[in-house]
Amino acid sequence: MLENGKISLRQFAILVTLFTVGDAILVLPSVMASQAKEDAWIAAIVGEGFGLLVIFLFTAVARLNPGMTLVEYNKKILGTTLGTLLSLLFLVYFLTCAAANIREIGDFMATQSMPETPNQAIYIMFLFVVVMGIRRGLEVIARAGEMFFPGFILFVILFILFLLPQIHPENIQPVLAEGMKPILKGAMASSTYSSVQLVAFLMIIPYVNQPKHILKSFMSGTFLGSIFLILLILLTILVLGVDGTANNTYPSYALAKKINIGKFLERIEAILALMWFVTIFFKITIFFYSFILGLSQLLNLKEYKVLALPSAMLLMVFTIVLAPNTTFYHNVITWYWPFFDGTFNVLFPLLLLSVYGLRKMVFKQ
Amino acid sequence: MVRKRLMIVLFCIQFIVTGCWNRRELNDLAIAVGMGIDKQGEQFKVSVQVVVPAEIAAKKSRGASPVILYSGVGDSVFEAIRKMTTESPRKIYISHLRILVLGEALAREGIAKSLDFLARDNEARSDFYIAVSKESKAEDILKVLTALDDIPANMLFTALETSQKAWAPTLSVTLDELIADLTSEGKNPVLAGITVHGNPEEGSANNSVQKVDTPVRLQYTTLAVFRKDKLIGWLNEKESKGYNYIRDKVKSTAAVIPCPSGGKATLEIIRTKTKVKGRIIQGKPRIDINLRSEVNVDEVGCQIDLTKTKTISQLESLGEETMKKLIHEAVHTVQQKYKVDIFGFGEVIRRSNPKAWKKMKQDWDQYFTNLDVNVKADTSIRQIGTVGNSFLERIKE
Repeated sequence: MLENGKISLRQFAILVTLFTVGDAILVLPSVMASQAKEDAWIAAIVGEGFGLLVIFLFTAVARLNPGMTLVEYNKKILGTTLGTLLSLLFLVYFLTCAAANIREIGDFMATQSMPETPNQAIYIMFLFVVVMGIRRGLEVIARAGEMFFPGFILFVILFILFLLPQIHPENIQPVLAEGMKPILKGAMASSTYSSVQLVAFLMIIPYVNQPKHILKSFMSGTFLGSIFLILLILLTILVLGVDGTANNTYPSYALAKKINIGKFLERIEAILALMWFVTIFFKITIFFYSFILGLSQLLNLKEYKVLALPSAMLLMVFTIVLAPNTTFYHNVITWYWPFFDGTFNVLFPLLLLSVYGLRKMVFKQ
Repeated sequence: MVRKRLMIVLFCIQFIVTGCWNRRELNDLAIAVGMGIDKQGEQFKVSVQVVVPAEIAAKKSRGASPVILYSGVGDSVFEAIRKMTTESPRKIYISHLRILVLGEALAREGIAKSLDFLARDNEARSDFYIAVSKESKAEDILKVLTALDDIPANMLFTALETSQKAWAPTLSVTLDELIADLTSEGKNPVLAGITVHGNPEEGSANNSVQKVDTPVRLQYTTLAVFRKDKLIGWLNEKESKGYNYIRDKVKSTAAVIPCPSGGKATLEIIRTKTKVKGRIIQGKPRIDINLRSEVNVDEVGCQIDLTKTKTISQLESLGEETMKKLIHEAVHTVQQKYKVDIFGFGEVIRRSNPKAWKKMKQDWDQYFTNLDVNVKADTSIRQIGTVGNSFLERIKE
């Protein structure tokens, strides 16, 4: 076993929640509002509901070969050549996702608070923490999640309470004015930003100490994250309006700027940025961890931690070359990324399931 | 052991190396509190009112002006602001902007182009108010020194807030609200106006605030009406108040009503709530405005018997009539004179019936001018003040 650590169901659920919220907390409301307008929150409910279905798929795949990671059973189910190929594709996916998320941090910092700081400086600082986490192993990552979680929840509750006075109920009217089409579009965005990226957890499931109850914990983690995202989208539209949400690159940050309790409690948007750093840290760490663990399993290494630093350098360069500017990045994210996510999170797991089923049938005969 | 020591060293280092890449100390910043944008030929003339920290500090004041005005001319707002560094020793920092004044001439040509910078730049926050200078340049507004509040931009910020809260015909608009109005298909923007009484050049001298009756003053006027981003006219005081009633922006104000037996009484409005609903009746849009208000009797200038409940209900219905009239007049003037929907009735129709709105939005201005607006007012008198009947009654002639 490459990974000797074990994590509890609770820790697993917390990681899933933080991962689901991930980068969506900052960018999702804008994407949703531009696609589904006033009905963005309905679209979010549809999308997150679909996300919960995908969880069934993931757990079904994980149950085929208990105790094995995605990379290991790819080989077992599809054979050495095809399995290795699929695993390689997955590794590229993990790395791309990690790079995209780091990119988002850089873009955010450059737009909102440190316009003259070179992005590389921010990437290096962030990757330093990620590498540190990975070198300590899965258990430490999970415990860190457990530690940050109460604070995260507290801030979420405070955030919602502070914004209640600024709600304009008429902002979500009319309901269902444009019919179902924009809702479905929005739903696709909402699910691919959050739950339909959770395939990375197939690399972690074998290290949960009670694999029998994994579905429940996976579900509750996703559910909590989804509820948070739906509330956040509803809140941004209720406070900023559809145009304000769609036009802002970082609507929830603009939302936090709106907080003003009696002219005393204001300018606390840094807290939202902090929440976002926490959630996106776990998202990046889990993607990156999955990449490193998968790569060392594929190469039959005895240790995965040695790969952390060199891969981080690779990741850093990848982040820089990923997109020449924000417009390019946002276009890719909005128009192509959902299909990218869909392929790896729905299509490939389905493929694994059906090949497994076919083989079973053939062997029985 | 080595590890532990290293951790301690690292821990200590973090206190020394705080701060970010391009940190700027407070004394490197020129804190802009007011900004004015005017047109100069084809270019923008941007003026900023910058705080002079030494004059604001309680002890060391030299008796010089508490603010300084920098201005720059450029093809864009950003260019003009950066050009100011040629006369200012520090870079202009706009995070603490309190008020943005748009010159009337610029407003007549269109304000949209001058606003993008403030929406896009990461230093700008959208918590400042926007107003239009009436019959003067924005620059002149920012030149005038004010008493009571040393920093004129702060005074403009609070005066707008206070007058909207207590008097009603003014309106505080923030940048995101303005942009929402500009982009909306069913609502046109409205901004408060500021005017300067007296000669602004005289008002910029520090001794002008040393008199009791300061010779030069700034004053908020009534609302400016826009068609999309172009200023097309001004509402009068009553119409402005009517506008704010419709938009549910009235917190408190005074309403003078005629007494049944001649003379006047004044009601202090303490709470109001307006609901605007839209309907389509036989293909024609119709707006219902429902205004509920709670009022106190605050001044009685006529002979009425306030001890009788009948008088109270009489006053209530008189109050209702006054408010209805105010709203009707505001709607009527805008429909006849300006022919643009500044009340957001289009938005209301869109919310209630998106399908019908799709057909109407092309010629909404047309629909708006013929729009059927129905007003209902409900006034409840709560208190009549610290005295019963007015002593006026007891004065024997």
